[in-house]
Amino acid sequence: MKQSRSLASGIVALIVATVIFILPFLFIALQAVKSKSEASRLNFALPKEWLFWENLVAVVEARNYQLLLAYFNSTVITVFSVSILVILSAMVGYVMQRRQSRWNGVAQVALLMGLMMPPAVVPTIGLLQSIGLFKTMTGMILIQVAYNISFSTLLYRSFIATIPRDLDEAARIDGAKPWQIFFRVILPLLKPVTVTNVVVQSIFVFNDFTNPLYYLPGRENITVQLTLYNFQSTYTSQYNLLFMNILLVTIPPLIVFIFFNRQIVTGMTAGAVKG
Amino acid sequence: MADLNLNQIHKSFGALEIIKGIDLDIQSGEFVVFVGPSGCGKSTLLRMIAGLEDVSSGTLTIDGKDVTHAEPSERGIAMVFQSYALYPHMTVAENIGFGLSLAKRPKAEIAAKVQAAADTLQLTHLLERKPKALSGGQRQRVAIGRAIVRDPKVFLFDEPLSNLDASLRAQMRLELSELHARLKTTMVYVTHDQVEAMTMADRIVVLNGGRVEQVGTPMELYNHPATPFVAGFIGSPKMNLYTGPFAERLGCKTYGIRPEHIRVSEDSGDWRGQVRHVERLGADAILYLDVEEASSMMVRLAGDTQLRPGDTVWASPQDSAAHRFAA
Amino acid sequence: MIQSHPHSRKSPYPFWFFLPAAVIYGVLFLVPTVTSLWYSLTRWDLMTAQFIGLENFRQFFSEPFLVRGLFNTLVYALVTSGLKTVFGLLLAVLLSGQIFARGFLRTVVFFPVLVSSIGIGITFTVMMHPTRGIINEALGLIGIPGPGWLTNPSLALLSVALVDLWKGVGLATLIFIAGLATISPDYYEASRIDGATRRQQFWRITLPLVRPATVTVITLSLIGGLRSFDLIWAMTQGGPGFSSDVIASVVYKQYQAGFYGLSTAGNVILFLLVGIIILPLTFWFNRREVDQ
Repeated sequence: MKQSRSLASGIVALIVATVIFILPFLFIALQAVKSKSEASRLNFALPKEWLFWENLVAVVEARNYQLLLAYFNSTVITVFSVSILVILSAMVGYVMQRRQSRWNGVAQVALLMGLMMPPAVVPTIGLLQSIGLFKTMTGMILIQVAYNISFSTLLYRSFIATIPRDLDEAARIDGAKPWQIFFRVILPLLKPVTVTNVVVQSIFVFNDFTNPLYYLPGRENITVQLTLYNFQSTYTSQYNLLFMNILLVTIPPLIVFIFFNRQIVTGMTAGAVKG
Repeated sequence: MADLNLNQIHKSFGALEIIKGIDLDIQSGEFVVFVGPSGCGKSTLLRMIAGLEDVSSGTLTIDGKDVTHAEPSERGIAMVFQSYALYPHMTVAENIGFGLSLAKRPKAEIAAKVQAAADTLQLTHLLERKPKALSGGQRQRVAIGRAIVRDPKVFLFDEPLSNLDASLRAQMRLELSELHARLKTTMVYVTHDQVEAMTMADRIVVLNGGRVEQVGTPMELYNHPATPFVAGFIGSPKMNLYTGPFAERLGCKTYGIRPEHIRVSEDSGDWRGQVRHVERLGADAILYLDVEEASSMMVRLAGDTQLRPGDTVWASPQDSAAHRFAA
Repeated sequence: MIQSHPHSRKSPYPFWFFLPAAVIYGVLFLVPTVTSLWYSLTRWDLMTAQFIGLENFRQFFSEPFLVRGLFNTLVYALVTSGLKTVFGLLLAVLLSGQIFARGFLRTVVFFPVLVSSIGIGITFTVMMHPTRGIINEALGLIGIPGPGWLTNPSLALLSVALVDLWKGVGLATLIFIAGLATISPDYYEASRIDGATRRQQFWRITLPLVRPATVTVITLSLIGGLRSFDLIWAMTQGGPGFSSDVIASVVYKQYQAGFYGLSTAGNVILFLLVGIIILPLTFWFNRREVDQ
């Protein structure tokens, strides 16, 4: 009796959770394949005609292929900033974990500040302007590195603690210089956490809206998240295209998630349990 | 081949002094074992010889050259770690050849040297495997192979057998002794296991509390321990050691007698006692006696002894084998 | 026997490994953070900065809509953090038990975390449309007149907070699931032998032992809540009026309007707010940890 009741409540919870978490995505997908007039009704009715391809082409062609440019820009920013992040934060995490010194205290404070503090945007813009990096991809890439390096370093530092120091010492005796110990022995062993880090950081950077909004204005600098924001005003009467755009922006993280589910989960919960 | 000299070596971590001035001359080609309880400084001393720990003061020479502050790779040493420290992402061949490839030796030379080391250690068929796919004994051999290709003047071993099971350990002891006989290189070996020290060493260095307690051949230490500490540490089962009135009656501060140097009789002898427990090891049996004057005493007997717990017996030392310490 | 050694060899872990990261982080994060303290005291047009003392802060606290932003930030952070903690824990307990399609459900709950805030924001804005929105239509079907989720000034901020909960609860759930996984089943079996009910087990075993995860969830979601901008910007742009403005959106609006000094003052207030709330909290949590 009691069991069947808990089973029933379990099923109810299941249905409720599914409805709440899946329906919005279904909603996006449905509107994206409807015609303009059908989509403007904003309901769950199935489309009379499926206009997936037509809507896709329309969104891609809109504003002189702006979406393609945005994908290109976002990809460049993501690839470069994540590559730099991985190398630099692994180096910092390695020395922080291996070497006791007062610099560690400084690095520790900087790390926590980076995790906690919101960036000071206008002074950053002023600074970027004065060094000629405002409205440039280089500037945006370096900003992403600066803003995400704390989390990335934290991930590496806790993983490096699990790599025995004997390996460093064996390499030292084998005649490896410090940079050889790091690049030839340690870095290859960080592969699991590097995969996690690359996946998680890529999603962060790709999804970032606020920072490109501030630091990368200009039509030629458009990024994927900003296309949505711009199209929102253009497409007030064309919900089908707006939602097709949302669909296109949602798909990359979905694909990444399907392939790297486990790595994302470990990355997101890293350090959370140990405190 | 090289000799190794330690001159007033000290090591401190902050205010804590770990190594309190060690002088030691190791002859070229010698197999020297550092032995002592955990925390005695034996591993720290080895790591200082390797160059992995800074020397706080004193000098260290290898082959007559002062290497006190030299980089590990410039000392002409090779080291086998307790954990073996094999690079997990490299094959056996890459592990063995890593040092040579860092030194930018030609590929053919690396391959030849790796092959030669692998042949010596019967690793040839494993060269393409990763360390993960090897047994404990095989990993041990790879670690030794990595040391051999460096063609070192001095081999350093840091408790290399402690991760192996008992039977493999016995086999590796033999292999290491044979390796030493073949290479005739100076070897320094750290262990907490006095059996390894006794079976492999040309000379044993007993360390205690950051100081050298005694240096000597295994049989010198067994027959003539300089201190009660060495007496208790070398030999198994342990020497019976007594202080207080019992020792004073026998004319010393500490009196020691090995279990194998005590005779037991059922009707007469020096000390009367009662059998508390008999530990049968097959060939031998260890008798635990409650001796009236001296509390507990261990005696080694032939395995077929008929004594049983509760029996009353008389124990007598072979007086020539007794040790009398002034401390 | 303490002695410095003049020949001290180079460490195999050189500090220059810090250098590239330190330069980028220092120049692009630390320098602006420090100079913001100065710029917040000036009237500033990016070229020249004229010192005006605390005028920007005085203005900030005298304009009702700016004060509203400060208040809203606190409300938003507390509401989202509280809801994420409670629902995250409930979902985690549910999804840690023996339940049908557990893996699928975990995936479903977590996925919104990875989706762009702007996309989510636009979608929910459409679904929360007062008359044509799907949510109010659904409510209408069961006879409940739906509110103007985003058009009612007293509701807009909370509506956004609900969407934030929807998007962010997956991360909280994930952290709690990881926390629950570290609790040995032995405790539950031992307490069952001692006669504990399910409810007692939750309050007396689960809750205390999952504490590190709770601390993480609360801290992370508070920080996120205090700094949140993109969801609010996508959904209401601070409106209607200024009813759902938070400090981060005020900072952006003042920046757009060219009041750089005032915008930076808002930023400094946000630093202080984060610092005042998070630092004592972390300190307090850590001290309790030691006590236990």
